[in-house]
Amino acid sequence: MVKQKFLSRLGIYSSLIVLLVFVIFPIYYMLTVSFRSQNSMFTNPSWFPVDLELKNYRVAFTSREFLTAMRNSLVIGIVTTSVGLVFSVLAAYSLTILRYRGRDTFGRIIIVAFLTPGALLFIPLAVIAARLNISNTLHGLMIIYLSFIVPLGTYLLLGFFRNLVGELEEAARIDGASRLQALWFILLPLIAPGIAAVGILTFTACWNEYLVALVLNPNPEFRTLPVAVTFLQVADESPIGLIMAYSSIGAIPILILFFIGQRFIVEGLQTGAVKG
Amino acid sequence: MAKGLKARSRSRIQDSLLGYATILPAMLVLIGFFGYPLFYEVYASFTNITVGQSGEWVGLANYRYLVSDSAFTAAALNTVVYVTAAQTGKFALGLAVALLLQQKMIGRNLWRSVVLLPYALPGFVAFMVWRLIYNPDVGSLNIFLDQVGITDQPIAFLSNSSWAMSGVVLATIWKGFPFWTIMFLAALQAIPKELYEAAATDGCNAYQKFKNVSFPGIRPVILIVFMLSTIGTINSFEAVWLTTGGGPGNSTIIVPIYAYKSLVAFQIGQAAAAALLLMPVVLLFVLFILRRLKKV
Repeated sequence: MVKQKFLSRLGIYSSLIVLLVFVIFPIYYMLTVSFRSQNSMFTNPSWFPVDLELKNYRVAFTSREFLTAMRNSLVIGIVTTSVGLVFSVLAAYSLTILRYRGRDTFGRIIIVAFLTPGALLFIPLAVIAARLNISNTLHGLMIIYLSFIVPLGTYLLLGFFRNLVGELEEAARIDGASRLQALWFILLPLIAPGIAAVGILTFTACWNEYLVALVLNPNPEFRTLPVAVTFLQVADESPIGLIMAYSSIGAIPILILFFIGQRFIVEGLQTGAVKG
Repeated sequence: MAKGLKARSRSRIQDSLLGYATILPAMLVLIGFFGYPLFYEVYASFTNITVGQSGEWVGLANYRYLVSDSAFTAAALNTVVYVTAAQTGKFALGLAVALLLQQKMIGRNLWRSVVLLPYALPGFVAFMVWRLIYNPDVGSLNIFLDQVGITDQPIAFLSNSSWAMSGVVLATIWKGFPFWTIMFLAALQAIPKELYEAAATDGCNAYQKFKNVSFPGIRPVILIVFMLSTIGTINSFEAVWLTTGGGPGNSTIIVPIYAYKSLVAFQIGQAAAAALLLMPVVLLFVLFILRRLKKV
């Protein structure tokens, strides 16, 4: 009995170790390579942290291209998330608290848009952006990303709003203009953590988006970070350490944000899919 | 009484007005950049539109071209292989990890967070890193295989047509399995402890516990997680584009890559038609999820 228990413990912990190595290794590897020179990668091939130096980061933070891409990604992420949150809160409020004709249809449109992947629509978006003269601009990507994150934000916020059953009824009983005050003063403080989590997710979605940014904004002045990083990858001559430094700088803020909001993000994802 | 009714109908009108006003911004965005593009894509797929010219109606010519194009048939076939392999892997690994992290162990909450790392990592970063891991000259996988003595020649995993698909699939599984684990863990935690205790007093072994208690608990979640994750995987452009670019040859090309390449070659009608051929699958899943969400 004792022996059997020991064996099962041993099994659990050894699987855990294998799992952790599998999960962590690529991130560990990205970080170590980001501190290595191109020369060292070829003359001293190793997956251990050897020949570490800060040069790649120094190059990154003095590269105009990189700084421009960072700035573009930040501006697009912040502006789109802010506007998107306002639109999403209003829409989620509308779909949970108010009763009017067509509400269910609007709700369904939101969910269908949320579920439709960007890869399905990047072609017409490219043509439309070209016609509207908004390719290679920041506001062009902002408005298109808005159409991705408003459904995402609204859908996730619906879950948070629905958890406020009592408060929703109370707010619903108030009449007229004071209703918006009820939204502002009663409901919003209660779902503030939800809004923060949705904000993190929508910012992340903008920051990570690759395909539409690649198609719409190839001009170096308007590239976002993912596009700038992948443009470094030119055939065999790509600067490996530098690419990993760009990638690390691109990944770390997102990982920090994710783990700050982790509890609410995981809750939001689970409410969305599991409870409906 | 009459006054009350009047007040109520007035408040109902106010309700409606406020309702439309608050949903309006979201709907305007979606009409302009979701509804219209979708409609335009359908239209474009029946024309020979190019950049700067609106093109002419060509009927089913684009679709006929796709069916006869060997690159597209490869893309369609690869999409099926890629999605099936990746989703099977994510399901198996996601479930195994959820069951593992359900066990009593030191630091369990910490490990539950750590396992989310691949999910939290930006996709473009994840796939650039995997591309490097597979690199034949300096990649860690080849160095490791050489050190342990499994290989004496480096393998160019991503430019070798017998390895490339497996390479992309493994990277995709790595990135995607934590989502399944999160969902399965939530479902497992919702199972009352008493059921496990009852199973223990009945003398069930670990497998019987899984079959009779854990699995029925997660079964309702499997389908919806499968669909949510599959919609994304069918369209995983960057997973393939940043690792193999669809190559070598057409050995890892999937439909979104094909559509992207057509677009870059200014074959907008063909690109639209190719992207739209994914629509039925996506639509089927979307309708299913909609029904499912309504029921709950």
